[in-house]
Amino acid sequence: MDFLNAIIALSNFVIVPAIAYGSQLALGALGVTLIYSILRFSNFAHGDTMAFGAMCTILVTWVFQSVGISFGPLPTALLALPFGILACMALVLVTDRAVYRFYRDQKAKPVILVIVSMGVMFIMNGIVRFIIGPGDQRFADGERFIMSARDFKAWTGLSEGLAIRTSQGITFVTAIIVVALLFWFLNKTRTGKSMRAYSDNEDLALLSGINPERVVMYTWLIVAALATVAGVLYGLDKSFKPFTYFQLLLPIFASAIVGGLGNPIGAIAGGFVIAFSEITITYAWKKVLIYLLPESLEPSTLVQLLSTDYKFAVSFVILLIVLLFRPTGLFKGKAL
Amino acid sequence: MSGNPYQDDRGNKDASIANPKGQGTAENTRKKGKATPAPGGPFLIGDTMTGGYGKGPDILHDCTIAVNPGEIAVIVGPNGAGKSTAMKAVFGMLNVHSGSVRLDGEDITALSPQDRVIKGMGFVPQTSNIFTSLTVEENLEMGAFIRKDDFRETMHQIYDLFPILKDKRNQAAGELSGGQRQQVAVGRALMTQPKVLMLDEPTAGVSPIVMDELFDRIIDVARTGIPILMVEQNARQALEIADRGYVLVQGRNGYSGTGKELLADPEVRKSFLGG
Repeated sequence: MDFLNAIIALSNFVIVPAIAYGSQLALGALGVTLIYSILRFSNFAHGDTMAFGAMCTILVTWVFQSVGISFGPLPTALLALPFGILACMALVLVTDRAVYRFYRDQKAKPVILVIVSMGVMFIMNGIVRFIIGPGDQRFADGERFIMSARDFKAWTGLSEGLAIRTSQGITFVTAIIVVALLFWFLNKTRTGKSMRAYSDNEDLALLSGINPERVVMYTWLIVAALATVAGVLYGLDKSFKPFTYFQLLLPIFASAIVGGLGNPIGAIAGGFVIAFSEITITYAWKKVLIYLLPESLEPSTLVQLLSTDYKFAVSFVILLIVLLFRPTGLFKGKAL
Repeated sequence: MSGNPYQDDRGNKDASIANPKGQGTAENTRKKGKATPAPGGPFLIGDTMTGGYGKGPDILHDCTIAVNPGEIAVIVGPNGAGKSTAMKAVFGMLNVHSGSVRLDGEDITALSPQDRVIKGMGFVPQTSNIFTSLTVEENLEMGAFIRKDDFRETMHQIYDLFPILKDKRNQAAGELSGGQRQQVAVGRALMTQPKVLMLDEPTAGVSPIVMDELFDRIIDVARTGIPILMVEQNARQALEIADRGYVLVQGRNGYSGTGKELLADPEVRKSFLGG
């Protein structure tokens, strides 16, 4: 019984949150990886693109809530999501037209685009904070739990409860659907294959009659959709605050690089590696250990390796280790 | 290469932020010009072209190359003579500021490279001429990107022409040997059903046996009526199968004539064919 309780406690505090967080990171890292392999630079503005998409979704959600449109037990934000995606698509296309296209025409080296994207990051960051303010915004509604801790306890008779929040369930399901769609698109459709071809060899894609501007446009559209979905899911799960999205950039980049930049499967795996490490290292293991260890060995402290304030350090360390020992990532990168 | 500050990566070698692999060099990809009728003349001609890369110095000077249906035209010349540049200029991948390119009775100088593909030009570059991470079959599919009709028939024809590709069709093209890669490259270009095929050193880096084989295939393709414009290192062998030959010297037309004439020309023999 103690063993079961330990597993439930572990699931409740580590596994379920890490799966949800990992899905969000994976979606973010997929966007970064797509830009990296097709537009060939690391897009530092990705976190703020996520923030912008999420912000637009929140604004539409508020409109829906004020006129009384709801999605039953599911959060209204899901209804508003398509509008957020469209707004985010518009933003990235305008940005591409106004900023990145000039550098593409110049055949600028990727590292220059990295710096350019940093500039774009600051502007987007400013826009988001200007429109919605720097504070915390809550926009989640509908049922709060798929399964609450109390129901679980009553149902199983265990002393530990397992709660699964609606946002966590939605995050996981949405992530699976989005990833499946993306893989189908890249591997089976003509446009998807042309994007892979362009990623592989720009000049040869041109010689096959593939219009580079078209490929770039599709890439931005997909990235905008991925970023908005990731941003909204993160906002639903935690809360929306522009600055946290800026901070998310680090775990997202760590996920993409740990998995192997340019490799979509790597981005997903990397997302989960980072999420699980972050949460297991910042989790206080006392409760689980009490169940597992004999009474004489029971820990007197929290057994928390790092305070949650330092969770970003975890991504940093993993990033460092991977770059030192396996710079191409767990899955060999650059193979869209 | 052109003094453009944006093309300087300031020594960055960090692949975790910048991905230099496969970046394009072609210019004019956003050109939106239209083709204008220009009847008469050879089927494909790059007429008195002058131009170079970016804002850099001119590499071609009044260079003219042309080919007609059923013919093989070969461009030979010493290293750095501008042979590959001439091919890219015909394809619109660099700035040609004087001269024109005409195909099948139309002036296509104002067209972007991708629009020239739609007009019926097929080009096999010298290096990185396959999509290494895509399978052989996907390479061929990408060759047929502009086609809206059913291209399976063409794919069968290409598998007949290069049987080895059929066996390897689900393998990543980057895993193939040099000769097989060249077959994929030529196959990809043929998938568009081009009206003219341009090959930039198709035999570079393959063994002599494979080279003979490739030459035979190229002759096969030419017999189907597709004009072929080709740059070759193996000048002697190439001129033997050529209906037209051009010897480029420092971006200018040095000598031109039929393949046999050039082979017989003592000047050409002495300077470019090693006696």
